[in-house]
Amino acid sequence: MIKHNLCLLLASIIVVGCGAGQNADEVFSYPVSVFELSNGLKVVAVDYNSPGIVAYYTIVRTGSRNEVEAGFSGYAHFFEHMMFRGTKKYPTKVYNKVIKQMGADSNAFTTDDWTAYHIVASSDSLEKIVEIESDRFLNLKYSEEDFKTEAGAILGEYNLNFSNPVALLREKLYDRAFLFHPYKHTTIGLVGDIQNMPNHYDYSLEFYDRYYRPNNSIIVVVGDFDQIKLKNLVEQYYGTWESRDFVPNIPVEPPQTRERTDSVTWPNPTLPFIMLGYHVPAFSDQAIDVPALDVFSQLLFSEASPLFRKLYLEEQVVDLLSGGVVDHRDAPLFTIIARITDSERIDYVRDSIIEEIERLKIELIDSSVLADTKSHMRYTFAMGLDNPSNIAEMMGHYLQLTEDPETVNRVYQLYDSVSPKDIKQVAITYFFETNRTVIVLKQEGQ
Amino acid sequence: MLEQIQLRAFIFLVCLVAFSCSSSERLENNSSADKGSDSYFILEPIELFIPGDPLINFHIAFRTGAIDDPVQKDGLNALTALMVARGGTKTISYEEITGMLYSWSASITVQSDKEMTTLIGHVHRDHLEPFYGILRDLIISPGFNESDFKRNKDFLTNAVVSTLRGNNDEELGKQALNTLMYQGHPYGVPEIGTEMGLGAITLDDVRAFYGRQYTRDNLLVGIAGGYPSGFGDRVASDIGGPNGLPDGNSDFPTLETPRTLKDIELLIVEKQSIATAISIGFPLDITRSEDDFFALLVANSYFGEHRTFNGLLMNKMRGERGLNYGDYSYIENFIQDGGSRFPVANIPRRQQFFSIWIRPVPHHNAHFALKQALYELRMLVEDGITEQDFEITREFLLNYSNLYVQTSNRRLGYMMDSHFYESNYYINEIQARLPLLTVDVVNAAINRHLQYKNLAVAVVTTNASEFRDKLLTNDLSTPRYNTQVSDQILSEDEKIISYELAINPDSLQIVPVEELFREAR
Repeated sequence: MIKHNLCLLLASIIVVGCGAGQNADEVFSYPVSVFELSNGLKVVAVDYNSPGIVAYYTIVRTGSRNEVEAGFSGYAHFFEHMMFRGTKKYPTKVYNKVIKQMGADSNAFTTDDWTAYHIVASSDSLEKIVEIESDRFLNLKYSEEDFKTEAGAILGEYNLNFSNPVALLREKLYDRAFLFHPYKHTTIGLVGDIQNMPNHYDYSLEFYDRYYRPNNSIIVVVGDFDQIKLKNLVEQYYGTWESRDFVPNIPVEPPQTRERTDSVTWPNPTLPFIMLGYHVPAFSDQAIDVPALDVFSQLLFSEASPLFRKLYLEEQVVDLLSGGVVDHRDAPLFTIIARITDSERIDYVRDSIIEEIERLKIELIDSSVLADTKSHMRYTFAMGLDNPSNIAEMMGHYLQLTEDPETVNRVYQLYDSVSPKDIKQVAITYFFETNRTVIVLKQEGQ
Repeated sequence: MLEQIQLRAFIFLVCLVAFSCSSSERLENNSSADKGSDSYFILEPIELFIPGDPLINFHIAFRTGAIDDPVQKDGLNALTALMVARGGTKTISYEEITGMLYSWSASITVQSDKEMTTLIGHVHRDHLEPFYGILRDLIISPGFNESDFKRNKDFLTNAVVSTLRGNNDEELGKQALNTLMYQGHPYGVPEIGTEMGLGAITLDDVRAFYGRQYTRDNLLVGIAGGYPSGFGDRVASDIGGPNGLPDGNSDFPTLETPRTLKDIELLIVEKQSIATAISIGFPLDITRSEDDFFALLVANSYFGEHRTFNGLLMNKMRGERGLNYGDYSYIENFIQDGGSRFPVANIPRRQQFFSIWIRPVPHHNAHFALKQALYELRMLVEDGITEQDFEITREFLLNYSNLYVQTSNRRLGYMMDSHFYESNYYINEIQARLPLLTVDVVNAAINRHLQYKNLAVAVVTTNASEFRDKLLTNDLSTPRYNTQVSDQILSEDEKIISYELAINPDSLQIVPVEELFREAR
């Protein structure tokens, strides 16, 4: 008991402040409070009008990017599953019973860079949520048998994903585009590694020990709740969580020096797909490149774009055309995907995409088109913030990148400043042949 | 950028149905008021006014669906819906419309089911007027040009021959179940049509179908958000008034009772697959309109609540045995709303069905998984649920159902569904009825409506004949696990392994995937 109280004192709040939402011109205008425990756990609390409902997200800044050892792809995601396997105080069945009694919507997801555990429930349940969530982050305990059993569910998830050819296409694209960086494998992992998971119980414990630490985690709470109460609860329940500084040795991907192409076949009926990838920079809320690439993707692939109109509306040679880049901590791929309605027109679609990119290297975008694009992006953002969960996930996305709640507004300020010259510059800088990987998927025998 | 790009691709490939504060509410608790004869149209729109809300959602619903597809023209309802929502008006092309919607970040989508087709519009209040003008004209004055027709028809055809047959085994299994379960019934064809049915549709067919089905009598207008005073009435008047849609036939087609299943009927879809997808079901004789529905809601949540660890199936099949990613059950048609775990609204039906969804299982454990699901169903039917399970499940639903309606868009959808079912607002009904239930009432409802003997089962797998032989010989199919399991599980497995499925050999079909959904009705 004495030890516990001492830890609480040591874990006192060291930062209290207000974040986004102080300026009416900012795209994200809800009041944000931020505080941090001495163990490094950061809490971002957003006041949002959702009477009686609260969203509680725990962000771990670990994803498949952290899977640096050969043979261990898919562990960030696997570990996400294991976090539902209980503790001494709340074994799985008891944990599930508590969630059920709350009537909570509870789940988790894993990406290349981060893992999120989320609960949406009645505001009255806040204390219970903090208690059970802190318990599993501090005291997770699962048997080897449970570990092996859960590996079956992972294989099941892989199986359902891979009845879709896009999963195969994407897996091949990243495998060919990256030589060393863990982005080479998809988040769910390679099937051989998944099948071998039951043999690596000890590795899973090491994974937990490395990454499930307060200084690698952020809690995001959005909705209708008492800020003071939240602060007190977090201090009480997370104060004893010990930090650890583990820095994975993530290989740096060398520049690609020649175009890479490949193809895969699909054993079932399908239209052909083509997927292209270009290496682009890691996320930054200071440089113009990534925001300019986001605008660039809209100019190329939105329903209002000339390329979309040509291929989808006029010629009708594609029934899916999409492209863009997801913000990443390390340099990711800008990916483009098309489903082609005529298997004889695959090369034509590829060439049309590349021609349009080349056009943007030469011509400056019309300022009114650019203004419409920015308007679209700003309205899309605002209209998506219609419930606590969406807001928490959006904040989680930016927080895992920079740990700073102001990032969201900085990004949208950067969007506002993107000029026609910036679009031309990113087209020239990143979209060239030797930086490109192209994968084609066709039905077997065609 | 957030993960919108990937999401777009995902929605495209998996979603075959959806293409593409203080508040005041009207009609929330009076949904069946002022209906006028058999017409679906009501003079007042269903409104959910939320002062200060910058968003406005439109749900313009028509009581038309796949059951209205003419013979040999399967998919005509879905194609007409696409031609309205993703075509132009008489004066503005689709290309021009997409350009305008884009700069506003507004959207017009459509979802079509068996009996209801709903155009759904989202817009920020800054662009309400021009947006509304487009939405209105799409509905009352659609362009129906050849280029849009070709694009939309190809889209649906590809959705059948490529996406459904080759890109999504789980959706394929569900549609195969629907085909088997509703054989000879108007529900028995995919909402998006069949390959030959779609192939036979002409633009004139679309025009004629629109003329018959998009009428004042079939219309229901819903609006939610921070719209100006009187705006809802204006929408209803513009679309349903004298200058809007014409009057139509107010008699909705009667719906025959689905055929009676005999023992366990099987449709095995053969295709290359890395795992086996299984869907099980049978028609139910109740909907949200009936009292027993709410008792079954509790029973079903206990048995198989969608994508949670609350359900018995999920705990026993995934949690304890690691057979697959998930196992759930339903008492009405269920389509997950985007990335949430909640059902989409505006797909009401006069007839519903019970179903079990077993997500892909490794081939070697598939027969066991089917046996286990049916064994657990038998236990539910024969033993019912305990007082303790009843209490905790009821408590769960009373809290969880409030999360169904976190957005005005979803809330509006449920309000409109209540009009269809001629009942009070669904969430309020749950809140009012569940506290009155007892475990005996729930178990009596299970006895009246659930059963385990006469079932339809759809299986998507690689080696269909091997699976068939296992079924017909009642092969033991001992499961293979990654680890040693407890004595309790082994003991349960013994009972499951020895559970003999009453397969109807005369109703067991193996169909190559290329032949599924080919012929028109």
